[in-house]
Amino acid sequence: MRTLEQTVQRLCDASRKDFTNPYDLTWPDAYDQEQWYTSPELISLYGTAFYTELSDAEKKRLSFLEAVNFFSLNIHGEKALIEGLARRLYEKNSGIYSDYLHHFLDEENKHMIYFGGFCMRYGGKVYPDKRIVLPRDYADGEEDFLFFAKVLIFEEIVDVFNVRMSQDERLAAIAREINRLHHRDEARHLVFGRQIVNEIFQEYTPGWSAEVLEGVREYLEQYLVATWREYYNPDVYRDLRMNKPYEVYESAFDNDACRKRRREISDGCIRYLINNGMLEKEPSL
Amino acid sequence: MKNANEVKTELRGWIVRKAKILEEQLTDQTPFVEQRIISSLQLLELILFMEDLSGKSIDVKSLKKGMLRDVDTLYRNFFL
Repeated sequence: MRTLEQTVQRLCDASRKDFTNPYDLTWPDAYDQEQWYTSPELISLYGTAFYTELSDAEKKRLSFLEAVNFFSLNIHGEKALIEGLARRLYEKNSGIYSDYLHHFLDEENKHMIYFGGFCMRYGGKVYPDKRIVLPRDYADGEEDFLFFAKVLIFEEIVDVFNVRMSQDERLAAIAREINRLHHRDEARHLVFGRQIVNEIFQEYTPGWSAEVLEGVREYLEQYLVATWREYYNPDVYRDLRMNKPYEVYESAFDNDACRKRRREISDGCIRYLINNGMLEKEPSL
Repeated sequence: MKNANEVKTELRGWIVRKAKILEEQLTDQTPFVEQRIISSLQLLELILFMEDLSGKSIDVKSLKKGMLRDVDTLYRNFFL
């Protein structure tokens, strides 16, 4: 197993070698209504009666709106990530990895250029962020741990979507390419994330009370559910002109096929959290 | 258009269902976030529910401290 310092050095080298200009991306003038923008099997409603009842044109329109939602929630996730990473630059505990944080920040900013470019060019908007963060007190190391653990959970799920959609020949080239570009950087972020999350957890848990540890585990379980909730957006269903979009949202989230898909996509992330003691059991997704 | 009692009943019902508590454990003045009956991570779901109930979109960036305190506060801030 590499030390964090060795991993950071290796990732910095890879980021420098893979340095990209986000303005090199070629954007089509308009989005093509005949094409898919989200793999059908990854659409939130896939496997439900709501999806079956849509016409082919509506399914493709939904796949486009879900791409706008996917890229929107990535923008919101990365804004929070950039804020948190910037705050940690050159702080006393981040000396070892500050070099890599510069790459992390640079790459996340580029991702937002891709995502924002797609949403604004073709969707005319970014779906708004509706998450609410409340101030609270933390035990020693808990805030850092939860910050990096949340980043990891968010990115692990996103990366499964990115990998599958970057290889899906049915998708419009621009959708495939954005997913590919994102995955290329995220693969490094995930290596860093898994190592830093584990290091912080191992360092601080001996000083945490049983109550704090239980609270952290409960929070991570709830965060996984909350992360998945955002993939089911009533605004998307409203934009597709579906009846009772809120009921569609609630019903789809409770659908067995959708639950099975969430569990399958989250499996690698959940295994990691359980194997390293951060979760005790599989969360009810 | 639902009246105040109907809206508050729906809000209480949602919180009771999500928090898996008994109806008697929640009044219109129970500070459900402060008492951790609803977690901060569940507030996104509450916002979506209130948007559906009121038929109006909520800009979470404009929310001020205390606006989600209890059922009475929710009614005053988002349904009047």
